[in-house]
Amino acid sequence: MLSDLDSLKTAALAALEAAQDESALEAVRVNFLGKKGSVTALSQGMKDVPVEQKKEVGAKLNEVRTAITEGIDTKKLALQAAQDGKAVEGIDITLPGRPGAGVGALHPLTQIRDLAIRTLRRMGFALAEGPEIETEWHCFDALNTPSDHPARNEKDTFYLPDGRLLRTHTSSVQVRTMEAAKALPIRIIAPGAAYRRDEIDATHLSVFNQLEGLYVNQDVSLGDLKGTLEYFFREIFGAGTAVRFRPHFFPFTEPSFEIDVKLEAKGKEARWIEIAGCGMVDPAVFAEINKARGDTLFDPETTTGFAFGLGLDRLAMIMHGITDIRHLIENDVRFLQQFAA
Amino acid sequence: MQVSLSWLSTHLDLSSYTVPQLSDLLTFAGVEVEGIEERGVATDKVVVAQIQSFEQHPNADKLSVCQVDDGSGALRQIVCGAKNFKAGDKVPLALPGAVLPGGFAIKEGKLRGVDSLGMLCSGKELGIGEDTGGLLIMAADSPVGTPFNKLNPADVLFDLEITPNRSDLLSHLGLARELAALTGLPLKGERHHASTSTKAKAAGEEQIVIKAAEACPLYTARIIKGVKVGPSPEWLRRRLESIGLRPINSIVDITNYVMMEMGQSLHCFDLDKLSGGIVVRTAAEGEKFLALDGQTYALQTDDLVIADSERPVAIAGVMGGEETGVTEGTVNVLLESAYFAPSGIRRTSRRLGLSSDSSYRFERGIDPQQVQGGSELATKLILTIAGGTAEDIVQVAGAAPALVGEVTLDENRARKLLGTPDMTGDEIHAILEKLGLTKKSANKHESHWIIPSYRLDLQRSVDLVEEVARVIGLDRVPSRQVAVASPVEAADRTYDFAMNLRQSLAARGFFEAQTLRLIADAQLADSLGGGQGVAVKNPLSEDHTTLRPSIVPGLIATAALNIRQGLHRLRFFELGRVFLTLPKGGSREEERLAVLLSGPVSPTSWHGREPQPADIHELVGQIQNLTRTPLEVRPAKENSDNYLLTSELRAGNRILGWIAQLHPARAREINARHPVYVAELLISALRQGNTGPTKFEELPRFPGMTRDVAMEVPADLPHAKVAAFFATQKHPLFVGAEVFDVFADPSGAKIAKDRKSIAWTLTYRSADKTLETAEVDAAHTAILTALEKTLPATVRR
Repeated sequence: MLSDLDSLKTAALAALEAAQDESALEAVRVNFLGKKGSVTALSQGMKDVPVEQKKEVGAKLNEVRTAITEGIDTKKLALQAAQDGKAVEGIDITLPGRPGAGVGALHPLTQIRDLAIRTLRRMGFALAEGPEIETEWHCFDALNTPSDHPARNEKDTFYLPDGRLLRTHTSSVQVRTMEAAKALPIRIIAPGAAYRRDEIDATHLSVFNQLEGLYVNQDVSLGDLKGTLEYFFREIFGAGTAVRFRPHFFPFTEPSFEIDVKLEAKGKEARWIEIAGCGMVDPAVFAEINKARGDTLFDPETTTGFAFGLGLDRLAMIMHGITDIRHLIENDVRFLQQFAA
Repeated sequence: MQVSLSWLSTHLDLSSYTVPQLSDLLTFAGVEVEGIEERGVATDKVVVAQIQSFEQHPNADKLSVCQVDDGSGALRQIVCGAKNFKAGDKVPLALPGAVLPGGFAIKEGKLRGVDSLGMLCSGKELGIGEDTGGLLIMAADSPVGTPFNKLNPADVLFDLEITPNRSDLLSHLGLARELAALTGLPLKGERHHASTSTKAKAAGEEQIVIKAAEACPLYTARIIKGVKVGPSPEWLRRRLESIGLRPINSIVDITNYVMMEMGQSLHCFDLDKLSGGIVVRTAAEGEKFLALDGQTYALQTDDLVIADSERPVAIAGVMGGEETGVTEGTVNVLLESAYFAPSGIRRTSRRLGLSSDSSYRFERGIDPQQVQGGSELATKLILTIAGGTAEDIVQVAGAAPALVGEVTLDENRARKLLGTPDMTGDEIHAILEKLGLTKKSANKHESHWIIPSYRLDLQRSVDLVEEVARVIGLDRVPSRQVAVASPVEAADRTYDFAMNLRQSLAARGFFEAQTLRLIADAQLADSLGGGQGVAVKNPLSEDHTTLRPSIVPGLIATAALNIRQGLHRLRFFELGRVFLTLPKGGSREEERLAVLLSGPVSPTSWHGREPQPADIHELVGQIQNLTRTPLEVRPAKENSDNYLLTSELRAGNRILGWIAQLHPARAREINARHPVYVAELLISALRQGNTGPTKFEELPRFPGMTRDVAMEVPADLPHAKVAAFFATQKHPLFVGAEVFDVFADPSGAKIAKDRKSIAWTLTYRSADKTLETAEVDAAHTAILTALEKTLPATVRR
């Protein structure tokens, strides 16, 4: 009996060794440990074993059963491990991924505008807006631009038959905001479209995008203007960017400046690039606003402010090295997908 | 404006400044330098040489070895690569030690083993021409050994942008005055602008009559007889040519010279072609005028003209007449120097589309005090160059208007505005004084200033502050930043909402487009939403005539462009403004979002077959996901010619926008390979469903149970009708229903052609307990019974 058990154990372990999949393993289990299996058959023979041998045979029987059970478990884990490895066989992980819905992108102009807005909001500016179809008063008169100013003619500005016009700058939003203001301070930015009667070419669009800023309070100084815009352009172009202010002329600010930043173009020496116009709000603008409001919220004796404006299309071109402004309105996907974030 | 450095140098000695320093000086004074051109050579080491002989270089086919006379007495050997000369030609020779424009230094050396003691030069190498065809061959009478720059003086030309407020800088004298103020260098030579000692006499009525005193407050005339008109002398021609003016004849050149020298625009008439005295008057309606440019202009009653007793002889301040101009045959001239008011000149010049150097200056405003000085300088030059005798009086009609006066500067406010609290009164005074202002009086906080007559821009206290800012520059102003908190504005919320939509669409694979808001009439038929755009009165071209009433036309143009590039899977959106003409006049602007979709639902890849082209339900689904509002799609009664399936997108009573399929005929026009679907949504309507923070709803505590139902309905029964039925069911256990299958068979084999099979899943739940099967069955039966009563549906049981 004992020798039968030993040879059974040997046969079982050999069968386990030979099993190549889980069903073969199950067959081994059934053959040896199943109801009609050989180990089960032998254990049923225990009743015929003489009493004095019972203990020894019983222990042997247990040992064989345990060895086979453990053998099955071990073999099962080994077979699973082999199977797990096979699950990824033949996969070429270097193939491209599934495209899903594909990649879209925000227009570069939107991205630049958002960068500018996020930066200025951190500096306490709120957004403001106004109509693109404007009155002459909001676009010119209120901004101290005389009625015979060169910009105010049908050669340079789009007019409607009813005498209104398409705003030539977002500065008209300054006027709209001051007209409606309930109290000081005013600290706003106004991104938006503006129109000029320019033929479209590599550097001009008849409809373009600006960002206007206005801060009005008691005792706003040129120092505030300088500090604010230096900070802004360094946030946009990098901390070390050189910023300079050149005296200039705008009808609605005095003193007025143009702002240059020093930037490196690819492979070229850094050079000054004109980026924005700015200045202290001309008292004549406050006077005109007061007249329209019928009060003196903008008392020219005590109220001062600064304003600035920059071209977003130009900013996008400078930032990204775009060589032709028409790319910004043609929406060629080969262009747009370069700006997928 | 072109400005010559050598001309400027006649007024002040700028030799201690380099060209870049001068450029910076001007730039930071508010005069933008748009270009700098260096002409000729400053060095004396380029001289006139004569080629005595030349022979082939022994070691190089393309070189010649020349023996040249450099004026020193000995011949000099030069190796030269040019071919365009012969023995005896006179050419520029750069001697060793010369530095040519661009920094090229000339040294003695050997070329292919042969000594070369200098270089023979082309015009381009000397910065005086573009011709690269070989050596610059000089005039035969050029004296050998003479420095080249004696014959062709070196100069630097600045192309300056003068801002419209600084008309006083539109002349060499004006710029010299400004540079003198900025550098502290003394002005030299004649100042011209002061009145001169010449006797001036009020003109008798028969000589000059001003009938439009507002437009022409001051007019002077001087008669010079017996002039000989011919070419101008070399110096005058060179001055004019250096700044890009073409010499014409001595008299005309002198008037141009005076204008560029001191900013006073003059005009000379041929006295013998005038009949009677001068009348300054407005034109008669429709009066014709033949100008110097050969064009005939039809004038209006607000145009100012200079006339004789018969006809206009000049459009005042803009252009003289063809018939009375000075020619080679002119003997007697009448020299006009006047002040014309800017607004009239500007109006006439714009209306006629006629501008000149003269009108440019008058419309920006000239110094009325220089009118006689200009006449004096021109007279002097005419007598010197063209001879003749001048009447010793200047006939004057009217008087110089006082355009500037005194300005009081509040110095405390100046310091506050500048942000320079430490700036002293003395510093402020010194700046204004060097700019030519005269201090009349001053106390602790205020000073009173007399403004020079040429500074028309200095009228108010703040104008003086600007002068101080300009001179000290912003480097002197300490940067300051204040923290100001601004309450959120409506515009902020709209912006954030719009940015979320944009980002959401980009994440779904859509490309954001930005198209021009001005579109062509032909594009209007592509509009969605039914509004009428706003036509511009003066469009630039027929491609951009109207402010768009819809964004979709721009997206269709975008699709067309990309299809031309071979792209057929199109996913675009644009968020921006549209413009609608209101029925009762006026217009409205609103923000919209347009989406265009065409082609396969996903990009082609190696994974399998070409994905299915999107259908309109794809776009409905995209919008559904974007808006997160239950959408109702309500077919419109009519389609425009360019669309099919036009439908309103609604949420309850709100119209959110429109959706449609581009008509296949229109789609073929843009060569679309797949159907093109578009939608346009109103941002304000989308936002309405989006106010305030989301309110949390308790999660159901007990499981729900579902029952499916399949039914046959007429093929034309819209889904919306069935959905509406379920939406109105009030059974307490019924939660909602969703369609999960729609089946129709156009062949009629599986289901009759006029029928379709639809299947829905209904969900039941109680808030209080887990439902028993029997309870759900009872509720389901009740709803199905109601369904068959309400709709033409046969439930399959």
